[in-house]
Amino acid sequence: MKQIALYGKGGIGKSTTSANLSAALSEQGLDVLQIGCDPKRDSTRMLMQGRLIPTVMDLVREQGDRTLTLEDVVYRGYHGVRCVEAGGPEPGVGCAGRGIIATFQILERLGALRADVVVYDVLGDVVCGGFAMPMREGYAEEVYLVTSGELMSLYAANNICKAISRLSSRARSRCRLAGVICNAKNLPREEELVAEFAQKIGSSMVQFIPRDQVVQQAELNKKTVVQYAPASGQAEIYRSLARQITGNCRLDIPVPLEIEDLEALAYDFSL
Amino acid sequence: MTSLYDDGCTLTGALSVTTEIARCITLIHGPSGCAHHNFSLLHALHAAQGRMVPPLLISTDMTEKEVIFGGERLLEETIRSVVKRRPDLVCVLSTCVTATIGDDVDAVCHGSYQTPVVHIPTGGFIGGGFLDGHIQALVSLSLPAKESEKTPSVNLIGEKTLEYEVNEHYQEIKRLLSLVGVPVNVRFVSGTTFHDLAHLGRASLNILRDPSMVPVGEHLKREFGTPFIESFPLGMEGTLRFLERVGSHFSIDVTGAVTGEEAIQKAMVQDFSSLKGKRIIFDASPMTDVHSCYGYELAEMLELEIHEQGDPVPLPDPFPVGTSGIRRLLQRWRRRCHA
Repeated sequence: MKQIALYGKGGIGKSTTSANLSAALSEQGLDVLQIGCDPKRDSTRMLMQGRLIPTVMDLVREQGDRTLTLEDVVYRGYHGVRCVEAGGPEPGVGCAGRGIIATFQILERLGALRADVVVYDVLGDVVCGGFAMPMREGYAEEVYLVTSGELMSLYAANNICKAISRLSSRARSRCRLAGVICNAKNLPREEELVAEFAQKIGSSMVQFIPRDQVVQQAELNKKTVVQYAPASGQAEIYRSLARQITGNCRLDIPVPLEIEDLEALAYDFSL
Repeated sequence: MTSLYDDGCTLTGALSVTTEIARCITLIHGPSGCAHHNFSLLHALHAAQGRMVPPLLISTDMTEKEVIFGGERLLEETIRSVVKRRPDLVCVLSTCVTATIGDDVDAVCHGSYQTPVVHIPTGGFIGGGFLDGHIQALVSLSLPAKESEKTPSVNLIGEKTLEYEVNEHYQEIKRLLSLVGVPVNVRFVSGTTFHDLAHLGRASLNILRDPSMVPVGEHLKREFGTPFIESFPLGMEGTLRFLERVGSHFSIDVTGAVTGEEAIQKAMVQDFSSLKGKRIIFDASPMTDVHSCYGYELAEMLELEIHEQGDPVPLPDPFPVGTSGIRRLLQRWRRRCHA
């Protein structure tokens, strides 16, 4: 069983990448489970043909956690990919991080966390211990950072490295950085920059995903690119990503960059 | 915000105030454990003072569900059900959990209810301890009081309601004040009613239980313009000076009162003359220099020798109030010295 988590700055395309990755993995004949770990609950929407599935936290709020079954929380989407949304409180109240912890405990108890590949799609920043949950307790063993070549996006990725390196220093932790995925914004020399960044933090860039209109079109049609335009170059990129990830066995403890070094790096590539 | 030497739970400090208000229900917004632990402690301490009625303490019994989704609705529902019991006042105390998840307790308490609802912020992890809770509760409870015309009277501020001899201390200060003809306006707070709280501004002088209550004294000075004396009277000389300070505040000639009290003190020294010449040592209770000076003063007046091999005698902290407090202390010393 492979357990991977995608982390990165909000709005960078984690959910799009996760959904397309899950779709491509399932096309390889793998049993895939995607778990959206963001209170915004839109991780699995494209896999579910636009349907917002009930979240674990919604169900807990409505009926408590005692009577929940696997069928209540797991939904089959495109090509049999199984989808779960953690959900969370209304914006501005309560504690979303504790919601993630509670969700994991429920999924664990229901025995939901079994598949050939489990893909955790996690909220932008590791804002508190709750959102580090997928990296802990042996849930996700391979973390992929999704970033563009923009400084703020690299900055967020670098920050997540801090969480990974702290967590991986624990004796029983199996969480490692598996690679960097560049979800491009079409900046000049973006691929080089992200590859350099990946190398500097002690990892590697596993896939460069160019910016393409078809992603937007697929989303408007409530589908993943893999489903909407299976013959497109972009779909092939996601399949390539899926192959990279299934074949990847490089796992590193990252060394986050100092902020000055990160800024200097981005500056060098802007010239 | 953080007091270096203040430990314990902020909640407990605030509860030592709110459970002293008659017909006031205290609502702890947090998990049941926060309330249970404090309920047991208060009930035991109250029972030791002869109060057998359990403290009016209710918990919102917050669970993980409220931690995740927010506890404001639960708080509002609980306030509404508590109000149905027709108390004079509801005090809402927040806890570490509600402060962490950011429940807007203040906003909920400002809702429209048939009973006044006062929020006392007591999230302990923020850095405060027992004392901060005590101070915070008094400050919050002073807010509903209105400025009113001053009468020649005093408020007693910050009595330590969980200490031994609370009532003895009160009786003594009342006696001393009566010597100079000044009545007590409000005990803030000990056995106080909600009605009393509204008249907090009437007193023209506040007497703080001890200097730890200075932040409350300062607050009341700002709000009501009431000056304060920072401690109940301690020690023989201190008691006489206290009478003079109160007298000077009210422009009363206290010569007679001071002479009279001095005579009582001299007679007391006579009563304990069997202690004269004894060797004593202060036992191991924690003490500060300020407070050990009352012990040295007594030793000198009674002609006792402080000696390493002397009989160990107690020097309690807090030191007992006024001349009567010293009399009770000397009785303990006499027993220890078998005099």
